[in-house]
Amino acid sequence: MVACRHCDWLHYKLIIETGSVARCARCNSVLYTRKPFSIDRTLAASLAGFVLLVLSLSLPFLSLTRSGLNSEISVLDAISALWLSDMRWLGILALAFIVLLPLARLLILILVLWRLRFRLGIRLWMCRAMRWAERIEPWAMAEIFMIGVVISLVKISSLATLDVGPAFWSLLGLIFTTTLTSVVYCRDTIWQLLTTRLA
Amino acid sequence: MAASDHTLGLSAHQAGLAPCEYCGALHRSLHTTACRKCGAAVEGRKRFSLQRTWAFWLMGLVAYVPANLLPIMITSTLGSTSEDTIMSGVIALAQSGSWFVAAVIFIASICIPVTKFVFIAGLALSLHFQWDMSEHTRHLLHKITELIGRWSMIDVFVVAILAALIQLGAILSVEPGLGINAFALSVVFTMLSATSLDARMFWDTSSDGS
Repeated sequence: MVACRHCDWLHYKLIIETGSVARCARCNSVLYTRKPFSIDRTLAASLAGFVLLVLSLSLPFLSLTRSGLNSEISVLDAISALWLSDMRWLGILALAFIVLLPLARLLILILVLWRLRFRLGIRLWMCRAMRWAERIEPWAMAEIFMIGVVISLVKISSLATLDVGPAFWSLLGLIFTTTLTSVVYCRDTIWQLLTTRLA
Repeated sequence: MAASDHTLGLSAHQAGLAPCEYCGALHRSLHTTACRKCGAAVEGRKRFSLQRTWAFWLMGLVAYVPANLLPIMITSTLGSTSEDTIMSGVIALAQSGSWFVAAVIFIASICIPVTKFVFIAGLALSLHFQWDMSEHTRHLLHKITELIGRWSMIDVFVVAILAALIQLGAILSVEPGLGINAFALSVVFTMLSATSLDARMFWDTSSDGS
């Protein structure tokens, strides 16, 4: 049996075809899914996301030129600007939302899915780690940061000349892989693997 | 898919079962236990759901006042400084003709937070007073609230980027103001408030599966 996550309505668990979705009879939310090659695909998307995130953090992001003066920033500079203007904890919050939480989530996904994919054995800490990965998800805000970047670009364009650096494009790619991860991620498949082999 | 042929006609709670939030395993106890399969804490319903919702809601509302009154951005140009609050920033953008950006910031920093305060309070009150509101409406409102919450952070990131980027010494420089601190706090608290509200409670008074 399975209870709907959103309204708690009880259903018998049916075996559904690969690629189809079971919906709650009462609130119509997704009840369970069976996505094809979920582990392989999520692992691939997470690995790509990790590479892009590391690139986004290490490369220059935006540069601004006005009257011969130039300033170039990376993502980390935007965060340290908050820190330096005595907004310490807001800086930490932004660091967590843009850097630490997305990084932690990707690392957990890679580690757990790698072990599942190559059958390296299931440990209890993997369940704990996956719970954290799911908890973190709404707090990882790279895509919101990107919208913020676009708004800033429009705002400053009248004041100075702006150029986007390579980190801008890798962050754009990161948003794509993050979306891809959530599309191919099948929590039912993964939790079933994690819990049945453990028992 | 065809609906009623695979339901039991009652909720897990009514059957005395508590599902694990993560792996979905059902437990024959409504008190807090550790999931026998994955080890997560299992609760039939989130504990103190309404109390937590109201506590975070109030914190968010309190933080939202200075967020609107204090400046969020301080711009210095050749000796003169100007301070912008959320609303004055939107008005300035609209006056300079950047309608699109003004609209995005207005929606993210004013419409979304206000909508969230109203929706969360409405949903919590509907539970307190057993309002005659359909479960489907409440379900939808709760989903919208959870979905839009994070997008309010746009303005915080905009201020951070501008402050980092516009550092051209005496010609032009931007610093974040205290208001943005309060605004970020408000967003975080309302997000916590929305997730504290256990959506399954909306359905507890209904019994049919339609």
